[in-house]
Amino acid sequence: MDNRPSRHRLVRIRSSRCEPPGQRRLPIREIGGALVRIGLLTEGGYPYVSGDAKLWCDRLVRGLDQHEFDIYALSRSEAQEDEGWVPLPPQVNRVITAPLWTAEDDGVVHGRRARRRFTECYGELVAALCAGGPVEAPATEADRFANALYGLAELARDEGGLVGALRSEGAVRALERACRAPGAPRAAREARVPDLLAVAAHLEQALRPLSLDWYEDDGLGAVDLCHATSGGPAALPGLLAHHFAGVPLLVTEYGVRLRTHYLNAAESSPAVRALLTAFHGRLAAETYGRATIVTPGNAHARRWQERCGAHRDKLRTVYPGMDATRFAEVGESPECADPETLVWVGRVEPAKDLVSLLHAFADIRKEEPKTRLRIIGAPSGPEGKAYLGHCRALAAQLFPDEADGPHAVGDNPVSFEEIGGPELPTLADAYAAGAVTVLSSVVEGFPLGLVEAMFCGRATVSTDVGAVVEVIGGTGLVVPPRNPRALAEACVVLLRDPERRARLGAAARARALELFTVEQNITAFHGIYLEIVSRTPVRRVLLDDTGEPLPFAAPAEAHVPGRWTGPTARLVARGGPTWAAGPPVRATTPIPATEGA
Amino acid sequence: MSDLGELDRPGPPAGAAAWDERSQEWLPETTNTEEQPAPVAPPELHEPSAERAPGHTPPPTTTRRTAADPVKALMHRHRELCERAVDPLEIAAGLEAHGVTDRTAARFRHRDVFSLAEEMYARIPRDGDTPTPLAPPEPPGSRAGWALRALLPGTLCTATLAGLHLTHGRARLAVAAVGILAVALAVRAALARGPLSTRRPATHRPGSSTWTYWLLAYALLGDGLLRAALTGGPDSLPDGTPDSPWPLVTTPALALTWACAPAAWSAHLLAARARRKLTASRGLEDFAASVRPLLLGTFTLFLATLAALLAVSGPTLNEPPPYAQTLTLGALLLLARLLTVHGFTHAPVVILRATAAAQATALATVFAARLPGCDALAAPVRTLTTLWGPTTIQTLTCGTGALILLIHATRTLTRASAHAQPERGC
Repeated sequence: MDNRPSRHRLVRIRSSRCEPPGQRRLPIREIGGALVRIGLLTEGGYPYVSGDAKLWCDRLVRGLDQHEFDIYALSRSEAQEDEGWVPLPPQVNRVITAPLWTAEDDGVVHGRRARRRFTECYGELVAALCAGGPVEAPATEADRFANALYGLAELARDEGGLVGALRSEGAVRALERACRAPGAPRAAREARVPDLLAVAAHLEQALRPLSLDWYEDDGLGAVDLCHATSGGPAALPGLLAHHFAGVPLLVTEYGVRLRTHYLNAAESSPAVRALLTAFHGRLAAETYGRATIVTPGNAHARRWQERCGAHRDKLRTVYPGMDATRFAEVGESPECADPETLVWVGRVEPAKDLVSLLHAFADIRKEEPKTRLRIIGAPSGPEGKAYLGHCRALAAQLFPDEADGPHAVGDNPVSFEEIGGPELPTLADAYAAGAVTVLSSVVEGFPLGLVEAMFCGRATVSTDVGAVVEVIGGTGLVVPPRNPRALAEACVVLLRDPERRARLGAAARARALELFTVEQNITAFHGIYLEIVSRTPVRRVLLDDTGEPLPFAAPAEAHVPGRWTGPTARLVARGGPTWAAGPPVRATTPIPATEGA
Repeated sequence: MSDLGELDRPGPPAGAAAWDERSQEWLPETTNTEEQPAPVAPPELHEPSAERAPGHTPPPTTTRRTAADPVKALMHRHRELCERAVDPLEIAAGLEAHGVTDRTAARFRHRDVFSLAEEMYARIPRDGDTPTPLAPPEPPGSRAGWALRALLPGTLCTATLAGLHLTHGRARLAVAAVGILAVALAVRAALARGPLSTRRPATHRPGSSTWTYWLLAYALLGDGLLRAALTGGPDSLPDGTPDSPWPLVTTPALALTWACAPAAWSAHLLAARARRKLTASRGLEDFAASVRPLLLGTFTLFLATLAALLAVSGPTLNEPPPYAQTLTLGALLLLARLLTVHGFTHAPVVILRATAAAQATALATVFAARLPGCDALAAPVRTLTTLWGPTTIQTLTCGTGALILLIHATRTLTRASAHAQPERGC
């Protein structure tokens, strides 16, 4: 362990400490509980107002108030920083932020030796990128990448000036050498000078967490475990904390960052994509390799993680949790539904394939002429608006307006509505409107709409996309995507069989309450935290004044809930004797070690 | 928790238009949906086909589109994805974004999407042609803006000099003060935008402007002061006339302020041409070799324009144009600015400071020689001025500085990293 003090602030870090409001809360005592200090690593997420997955992080932090959280947040843009933070609960000890969108050159110019060290490490790093495929690289290459990465991190910690060095001509030259080396992939060999510059710039950006001063003993070195809330840049500080201070790392990925990178990087030239995907692939493999536990959000993310080198033993699927109370009333009164109405709820966009749903509804109407379809949701973006217009036109074309009798005003059996109106004030009302909920997407991640329908105790018919089969289990009907006839048949079966509808709905609600609640999510993470601290505790060796290791410096009581030694842990009841509120008295006075003792 | 589902969305295909086309295709194709296989579901699922109402024909197991090679058809459908893919995972990600799941992959006799993507990646025909590199986009910002702004200092300087010629006494002093302020602000404005602006404000170091002001002041007053000092003066402050004992030389000021425009244009030329060479060159060495003549060419072009400006402004102001010292000073300032613009801030500050210090030392030695017993101090300056005249000091100092910066620039400005596109927000 490196105990050298920090000598430089490499990147401007605005840190602020969130003091708990008023008196410190009393710790919750439970048998077998332990106080875990968690370093929550986020990138463009919590605690920023516009962050990804901030709701999940907020529930996690609020739900585990027996633990302490240090939040290390990388912000994604200036606009995000300006929007500010969400209110933080008192168990958040401190929030340290660093901008990932800009890096100030710290003005450090490397000396000859540091330059050579940089060239060596960077050369190794890019050489490892140019050897073998992105993920299926041999173990030696993965090792080479990791060593080079940690070498650069150590250089940044010892000397600083990594931002300037990563932008320098030396870095570009090293890249060129690696690309022209024999054995480099074809795309990399064809890299031109602008490609090299683009790769160097992107690597500089991706490696910015290396220059942070988070890895000292009073920073990430002091936490019991690092919890990275996504892969990629957020996990990099966790990796370095693991390298420098031996802090165990937990990685949660609700969306696989590597796949996001593949989908986003479509515009760059082949050489840039080849090198950058190699970098992100290696980084993901290293993250999964070093992490103590990796928690994917569903089986789909899990398959990607396994593919990228995560060992099967480390993977624990933790489903996202949703607030079930909103749907409790609807879920417990399934008889209020209109038995002849199908409901589709979601955001209107092309991937939802409403066209297919409308064609299926045409088939359903042939069998069950009284059925109605309510499409509930707002369009997302201009594309969604165009798609919604198209769907309205198609619905008008397929289904003429109908009336009950010759003197009544008719309307279309397909209605397009939005939540928030007088008819459907809440989301739960939307699901309550119909007996059967339909999901017709062609592309889907984790189908939250389906989970909501399950909470409402509705029978569902969904297409077999994304994590649908995994979510629904056996509690709903599943048909292939882009198959309106199969969708129609499944809907007709359910419309004709109210008993089966009720059975399926009850089963779906039971399944959702078991698997997809917030409590389930928080309990799972609580268990994982305790497992990590018990299995792979941080071994901290404290040194005394003479540099000798201090035995029993970090006693087991340090993990007992509440602060036993700190001045804030005065557990005096209100109205207690005033003398009891004095400074805490040490149970044992430290005895100076003498030769005879 | 409405955002976690979005995180794992594989991402839909973009553009509503394509989807509308597809939905149009549905209309005639609805009768052909039996080409899709029967609803697949895990064993515990309720299978709709099992409870189909009597009278329905079960879907035929043979499919219309299944040719001998289904993967080939799939590759054709996703040919753009296949053509640009750099590894199998990219194809896998793209296929998933189009709704291909493991169940779909099973139809192609693959275990999962990954192995399907691997087969597709392995079967991509690889011919030798590489896509031609695209021309780099022009950096945003209007050219007219900075081109006009670069003319501002020269215009204001001309106006000030005209004012000085027309006024006397107190009014003249006021005109001079206002003119100097206006020209200084105009120069700042000209350097704030356009090709002479620093792209990285964070790396800007203060200090170079102080030394630049000193060098300009020396160009106007220094030679006169030196000449006066060597002859025992100066006895009075400069009064702004060329024939006083401490004369004011205004030609360099006029030429240099007008030279802001050619400086901006040569910086623009260098940046634009270098970007084009960047796209065209294959290696860093190629790029350096092609940029070096470009750099020297633009530099020479600037010097030629400055010389022409001097030749015009000298007779206008009835002064002999001080070619050597103004050209060296102009070269020094241009190179310092070019280096700063491309991110090399250290060398220009050092050289400008050293040049100013040398000039100050030369003046100081002459004055210090008046102290008793210190005659020898002025000997070097006195020798130089008697040999080549009092302008030698400025020419020598600025020339040396410019030469050093030129050598430095041929090494640093030919690097590809100096011409990298300014960083865009991530």
